[in-house]
Amino acid sequence: MIIIFTIFVLVSGGTFLVLQRSMVRAVFGLGLISHAVNLILLVSGVPAWRGEPITSEADLARAADPLPQAFVLTAIVITLAVTILMLALAVIGHNDDQVRHPETGEDHDS
Amino acid sequence: MPLVLAVMTLGLATALAPVAARLLGRNAGYPLAALYLLAAGILVPPAGAVLSGNTPSTTLPWVPSLGVDLALRFDGLGLVFATIALLIGAVVLLYSTKYLAAGERHTSFFVLMAAFTVSMLCLVMADDLVVLFICWELTSLASFFLIARSGREAEGPSMRTLLLTFIGGLFLLTAVASIWARLGTTDLGAILAADIWQTDPTFRTVIALLVALAACTKSAQFPFHSWLPDAMAAITPVSAYLHAAAVVKAGIFLLLRFSPIFHDDLAWQVLLVTAGLITTVIGGWFALQQTDLKRLMAYSTVSQLGLIVATIGIGTEAALTAAIIHTIAHAMFKAGLFMMVGVVDHATHTRDVGRMPTGLYRKLPVSFTLTLLGAASMAGIPPLLGFVSKEAMFDALLGEGHWTGWAALVVAAAGAVLTLSYCLKLVLGAFVDGPDDERPVEAQDPWLVIWAGLPIAASVPLVFMLAVIDAPLAAATTAAFGEASAPHLALWHGVNAALLATLAVLVAGIVVAVLRRRVLPAVEALEFPVSGVEVLGAWNRGMQRLGHLIDRPVAADHATRHVASILGSLGALGILGVASVARSLPPQQDGLGRPIDWIVAGLMLAAVLAVCVARSRIAATVALSTVGVLATVQILSLGAPDVAMTQLLVESLNIIVIMLVLQKLPMRFPRRSTRGNVLTALGSIGVGAGVAALVWASVGRRERSDLARYFLDETYAEAGGHNVVNIILVEFRAFDTLGELSVLGMAGVAIVAIYSTIQAKRLEPVPLRERIAARRDLPLNPDRDSTAYRAMQIAWPNNVGLQMMLRVAGPVLVIVSALLFWRGHNSPGGGFNAALVAAALVGLIYLSTSRDRQIGPPRVPLYLIGGGIITAVVTGLIGFVARGSFLAPIHGYLAGVHLTTSMIFDVGVYLAVLGLMMLTFNLLGTSAITPEHGEGTRERADEAVEGELPGPLEPIRGQAKRRVGPRTRHITAGTRPKEPGR
Repeated sequence: MIIIFTIFVLVSGGTFLVLQRSMVRAVFGLGLISHAVNLILLVSGVPAWRGEPITSEADLARAADPLPQAFVLTAIVITLAVTILMLALAVIGHNDDQVRHPETGEDHDS
Repeated sequence: MPLVLAVMTLGLATALAPVAARLLGRNAGYPLAALYLLAAGILVPPAGAVLSGNTPSTTLPWVPSLGVDLALRFDGLGLVFATIALLIGAVVLLYSTKYLAAGERHTSFFVLMAAFTVSMLCLVMADDLVVLFICWELTSLASFFLIARSGREAEGPSMRTLLLTFIGGLFLLTAVASIWARLGTTDLGAILAADIWQTDPTFRTVIALLVALAACTKSAQFPFHSWLPDAMAAITPVSAYLHAAAVVKAGIFLLLRFSPIFHDDLAWQVLLVTAGLITTVIGGWFALQQTDLKRLMAYSTVSQLGLIVATIGIGTEAALTAAIIHTIAHAMFKAGLFMMVGVVDHATHTRDVGRMPTGLYRKLPVSFTLTLLGAASMAGIPPLLGFVSKEAMFDALLGEGHWTGWAALVVAAAGAVLTLSYCLKLVLGAFVDGPDDERPVEAQDPWLVIWAGLPIAASVPLVFMLAVIDAPLAAATTAAFGEASAPHLALWHGVNAALLATLAVLVAGIVVAVLRRRVLPAVEALEFPVSGVEVLGAWNRGMQRLGHLIDRPVAADHATRHVASILGSLGALGILGVASVARSLPPQQDGLGRPIDWIVAGLMLAAVLAVCVARSRIAATVALSTVGVLATVQILSLGAPDVAMTQLLVESLNIIVIMLVLQKLPMRFPRRSTRGNVLTALGSIGVGAGVAALVWASVGRRERSDLARYFLDETYAEAGGHNVVNIILVEFRAFDTLGELSVLGMAGVAIVAIYSTIQAKRLEPVPLRERIAARRDLPLNPDRDSTAYRAMQIAWPNNVGLQMMLRVAGPVLVIVSALLFWRGHNSPGGGFNAALVAAALVGLIYLSTSRDRQIGPPRVPLYLIGGGIITAVVTGLIGFVARGSFLAPIHGYLAGVHLTTSMIFDVGVYLAVLGLMMLTFNLLGTSAITPEHGEGTRERADEAVEGELPGPLEPIRGQAKRRVGPRTRHITAGTRPKEPGR
């Protein structure tokens, strides 16, 4: 099940970004983690059946589990709301995420 | 039932107190005192029953599941203590009508006094351990508030009072819980009658010590005595009540209440007698040292209570009788003396013996006489009530004449010498020896003196009618001793050891009085090396340091550490947890993978790496968008067309929003050290591995779920639609969706709320010049017709292409949006997707404008959000009314077309999503130069609520002109501020 690898990549990258100092990178990281969580929710419906859960389509025996899909749909939209809120916070005030430091070779991170 | 009625009368007093204080100011004391007396009157018939040997009781069910009842019982102890609390309370209230400053409300004083008395009354009548404990804590709370309301200086003392009394509360709680656990009942009567106290002496001793410690904190026994003098910060009526009738008497009451089971316990006796005698001596000594009359009184309370506690510790019938009669005597003379100190304070504006006017007794003869009587009673001079009680206590301490009895008597007599000395200091210092012959003396309202002196005056005739209190005293002793008792008090006992002790004390006192000008300054000069306040302060600081030691690892202001610890434990949990169960997992299903998964995984790795390493913000955004598209592909391949469509639309909107934000920020992310990055990367890979392990262990190891089968098989029959996912969203789990669209809407409201708390200049991005470290000013061709000039300075031609496209794409998007909405029930689509398409259209319009401005009237977004939520909720209510279940859909056919109310619900979703997105574009779209040409971010946030405005509101929307607060009122009104401690 190679999707697990995809999830692994997304969670690792997301964690890395969330732990960065820049708010915008943290927001991006949260985006990656939510992609991962969405995929986890979807595969919890067992990805052996991948037909569309639309009952007018013929083969219901192959249809995927619709409940995780409904959850993920909700999750995607809430992620959008959270992302917007966090981006709105990222541009408040004049902090060092916005004012660029001169490249002196110093470490500004800690 | 009269018991409940009495409590309710006082409850009524508490409820009426704010109204009375508002209408009558300080005169609110009159109606409240009347209610106190009414409550006392209501208790007369039960009191009669008590005197004839019965115990009236009432039980109201309270927490039946725990077997806890609101049980009240009235016995001799309850009678004595309830009478003290009510009558002294009434007198104190009457006194306060003259004592408190006129023209002010004093609401909190009256409310808290009434609440205090209610809890005290319930405490002494409680017949249930839980009720007893709760009332015990309520008296602690009430005293805390009464002290704390006296202003800044009272903050420290009130906190120390709270700390110490709550420590005592913890002892009592432990005792209550232990008894409850062991005996399985909270019925106090049953507990006092239980056999276990005889059969298990260890248990008895443990509980006895806990109860004794609890009472010692409340009654200010050494080493917990420091809070009581500290509590002097409260105003005089409060002190009078606190010391004479309430909190400290609650401790005495507790000891007497449990005395029937513990009075034979050696540990109980040793602890109480030792603590009590130490307290009475050091309390007396400290009292003698004080120059502030009120502090002197406070330490004298400590000393007197010590004597009572020691006598209770003796535990014989005579001792308990003596303790009870002294409790009564103390309540009367202490309440009176405290109020007298208040009178002196009012008349001379000082409480310091070093500043008293000379010969005050000539100017305040009545006050002098009453104070003299009270002090004589306190000193145990015959023929006053204090003499009777002190004699009885001396007798009880001596007991059978064992050497311990003699030792106790000698210590108590030493305490009595001190008592007599500070009584002399009180009377002579305040009224006779005053050194200041120029200090003016204000005439006092006679009623102030009358109310203050009433308790003292009442105790004088009582001593000649001791037979009157024989019956209640007998009832109280019976309750405290556990066996029927018939004590008899008399003024004259004949010549015995106690009388000789009293005579010795009197002689010593006369010596002190004669030599006072030499003795007292010497005593005052002696400093005790450490005060209780310092000990408490040091303890407090130590605990704070200990607390910091514990919270330091997690109290970082560096958000990364919190996130790292949470995600790190998730990763560790995944790896370790899966490793421990890996062998026992059920087998995975076949056919979980598809070839396309491999392609997505490969591309995803590249895209995620790109997001992570990109230094340029735009590059990271593009890579993030790639991740989103790949996720869409993966979702589509998993058979979720609705989700994929939503994901794709959200992704495109997300990118627009990110780009709007990025234009306010520097081009590149801040640099970070390589070493830090490597460590973070390694940790992140660990977290990823942990999550992947969890997914591996938990996914694909079962057949299709029953729920999935149900939805696939039954949806069409239930809801008349084919798109199962959409129907789950708007019908089966519509409540979730309602929550979701509320979250969406609230995100928009939250952005407005946050932005409108920030100053306009802080909201606009840093001007470009500051953001770019080294900006080169290009020499521009000054010819206004040149292409270079137009490209750099004139904005509108840049957007012509987009505007042209909008003419075609606009109508198409509207149709697509409507179509998606309509077909949601049967095919991929639905309210979310339709709204996202519409939002994309709004975004397109926003981007195609040549100058940054808001789309639509400014208040539209919040109306859309609110309208959406209201629509959804109303749909739910329709379902509730029509089908008895919130959000239940109603189906019907109109001209052969299947319609359902869930479509109206979908409209709500549509509106909320659209509102949020419009708000986002309007608020986040501003750039550094926007305020120069039009409305800045702050102004737009304000306009989203207020409608069109000429400019931003400063500084915070809705901020009213500040009223001058209670602590500053004297500035505007010119009235004298309230002084703490008076």
